[in-house]
Amino acid sequence: MLELRAVRHRYEGRVVLDLEQFTLPRTGSVAVVGHNGAGKSTLLRLLALLEAPTEGRIVFDGTAVPRRAPASLRRRVTLVEQRPILFRGTVRENLEYGLRLRDVGRAAINGIIGDAVDRLGLAPLLDRRRHELSDGEVQRVAVARALVLRTDVLLLDEPASSADRAAAGALYRTLAAERAARPFAVCIASHQLEDAYRWADDIRSLADGRLSPVTPENLFRVDLPPGDGVKHVPVGSIAIVVMTDRSGPAVLAVPPTDIFVSREPLPSSARNVLRGRVTGLAIEHRGAGVLVRADLGGVELIAAVTAEAARDLALTPGGAVVFSFKASAVQVF
Amino acid sequence: MDFLAEGLRRAWTLLVAGDSEVYGIALLTLKVAVVATFISCTAGLPLGYFLATRAFWGRRAALTVVNTALAFPTVVVGLLLYGLLSRRGPLGGLGWLYTWQAIVIGDVLLALPIAAALSAAAVQGVDPRVRRTAETLGASPWRAAWTVAREARFALAAVITAAFGQVVAEIGAAMIVGGNIRGQTRTLTTAVALYTAQGDFGLALALGLVLLLLALVVNIALQVLQGRGNA
Repeated sequence: MLELRAVRHRYEGRVVLDLEQFTLPRTGSVAVVGHNGAGKSTLLRLLALLEAPTEGRIVFDGTAVPRRAPASLRRRVTLVEQRPILFRGTVRENLEYGLRLRDVGRAAINGIIGDAVDRLGLAPLLDRRRHELSDGEVQRVAVARALVLRTDVLLLDEPASSADRAAAGALYRTLAAERAARPFAVCIASHQLEDAYRWADDIRSLADGRLSPVTPENLFRVDLPPGDGVKHVPVGSIAIVVMTDRSGPAVLAVPPTDIFVSREPLPSSARNVLRGRVTGLAIEHRGAGVLVRADLGGVELIAAVTAEAARDLALTPGGAVVFSFKASAVQVF
Repeated sequence: MDFLAEGLRRAWTLLVAGDSEVYGIALLTLKVAVVATFISCTAGLPLGYFLATRAFWGRRAALTVVNTALAFPTVVVGLLLYGLLSRRGPLGGLGWLYTWQAIVIGDVLLALPIAAALSAAAVQGVDPRVRRTAETLGASPWRAAWTVAREARFALAAVITAAFGQVVAEIGAAMIVGGNIRGQTRTLTTAVALYTAQGDFGLALALGLVLLLLALVVNIALQVLQGRGNA
């Protein structure tokens, strides 16, 4: 539905985004993960039709978007920025802003706002002004201000960054309920793995402005055995040692930066020592880092090492490798 | 001290009696000031917004020019305008020299940099997320500019006040291109200068008081408007 084709975007001569193809399906939910500065916000600004790419084009419903996107197209997409801001005036006036731009009548505006306020639990905030709201409340109002517009595409830049975990959970539940009632495309930029995994059909990883062929986080859907403490959790044909009190369905994540890479097993406190073969090497951070992808007995894991370490270990595709990580490094969601 | 008291007494008498010359001069001053403020702000505020929000080649140079123009001596502006409007000048055909329109042009040239530079500063003081957010919600560039202006409205009201203050108190250009012609181009400032030189201190003082009153009334009016906008 919304596509970037052969897009290369520069700021002050520096390439900040370089994407051969990026598609947001009509009712899909896509999470874009990556570190700060990976190009996530730029990608969202292009998708929001607020900027034209330096090279390449944006295609919306099969039609190329002109460099200055007409308001009729821009109004089908909306973006909630990281650290959103409310305009001067009450929460109600903020919710009305985009509807007024769309020449929605007074009665219809009242109906839409009333409906949204009920669904999103904003009634106590309606007559408040921005300085009377907490960061989390501002975030909720900003999301509501975008949702009332009923756009075809909703873009959220780090939507949970200023909210606590409970508030973030509520935000995502709201989104899920809205999408169940009226399907629309959502694209969320996040550096929080949990958000990405829970709320998106599709996770794409951005590094240095490019789509990384792999999601750097090593995610596994598992069924945790009951009991406390150290558990050997089956993942495919191997077992990962985890420290958790949780049981039942969960997601394990092994942060790539917490994995030690060696050619031979090393004596250490790491409870997970997995032998395998290198299946791929991807250079990141402008040559300073390397993502080492390895097949470890049928399960693929990715480790992040410095380019220097990769050189010293003489890592090559097909070569033997050992990945080690502590049980406590494994995150459980 | 007697001389000062006498001057004040005469000023009071002229004002209370509704002296036609005093009020004629005051009305012309108000007309010139309102027209010049309107023109300079209509052009200067959008120019300030443009300078504050758009990245273009030469933006910094343009801001420097506008800021430098803030300190432009009024007599120099009057002199240059005199050269343009005098019979031998390129705009001599207009026949505007020694008319109130010439004073308006001089005042606009002086107030425009004030309106542009101060409104650029006012807009730069608004969180850049305001404009971006307006755009994400579907605002056209004009509507986004209006939203930013609403956020900066106290500062922008101060810009209009400053432009009006410059225009109403200006004397150099008004004297040179207006000519201080009685009943035609005599403004409060040029009249004060003239009557002081002629020794009619009471009349000069009366006109000075009117000038102060005018500035006060306009400031109060703007404050009332700001108060309403805040409700």
